[in-house]
Amino acid sequence: MVFLPDESRSLPPPPLVNKGSVWLGLTGWIAALLDNGFNHRPIIRAGVHRQILFTTVGWFVGYYLAKRTEYVHAKVDRELFEYVRQHPEDFKAAGI
Amino acid sequence: MAAALRAAKGLRLAVGPPNLAFTRSAFVAKRRNHDQPNWFGVGLAFSTSAALWALLFKQHNEDVMEYERRKEERQHKCTGCS
Repeated sequence: MVFLPDESRSLPPPPLVNKGSVWLGLTGWIAALLDNGFNHRPIIRAGVHRQILFTTVGWFVGYYLAKRTEYVHAKVDRELFEYVRQHPEDFKAAGI
Repeated sequence: MAAALRAAKGLRLAVGPPNLAFTRSAFVAKRRNHDQPNWFGVGLAFSTSAALWALLFKQHNEDVMEYERRKEERQHKCTGCS
């Protein structure tokens, strides 16, 4: 199964600062801080290169996950609207 | 595999007096010294981060260009060349 089908490129791409990136970037940073803690290093002052790397990896993965999320939601919406369009009798507003 | 191990153990037991020659091993452990930063690791981490950010910016710009291009294409197709 393809992670991002070609038609997903017709959707507007998520901004560089998006929910997925921010959240996974944060988890990456916390993971680096935890690593410092577990190895008895100063929590925020040590291993800045590691903190930056983990945050970057999280941000990067978050961007692609956000793109896939948008695609899946758009696909479901399209199928929903298509169904509503094909079954107008089931969606008549009350009283009309 | 277990049978082969048992056979090897039997052979070793049958050797006799212990051999005092030094045995060689591929595995050497040394005590980690953290006085000096691991500059290679630091460089690798920073360069990987820079590469990932560059890739991300490139991908995002390509995505925006492709979206705009497809939007134009859809305009052209739907409204005809006006």
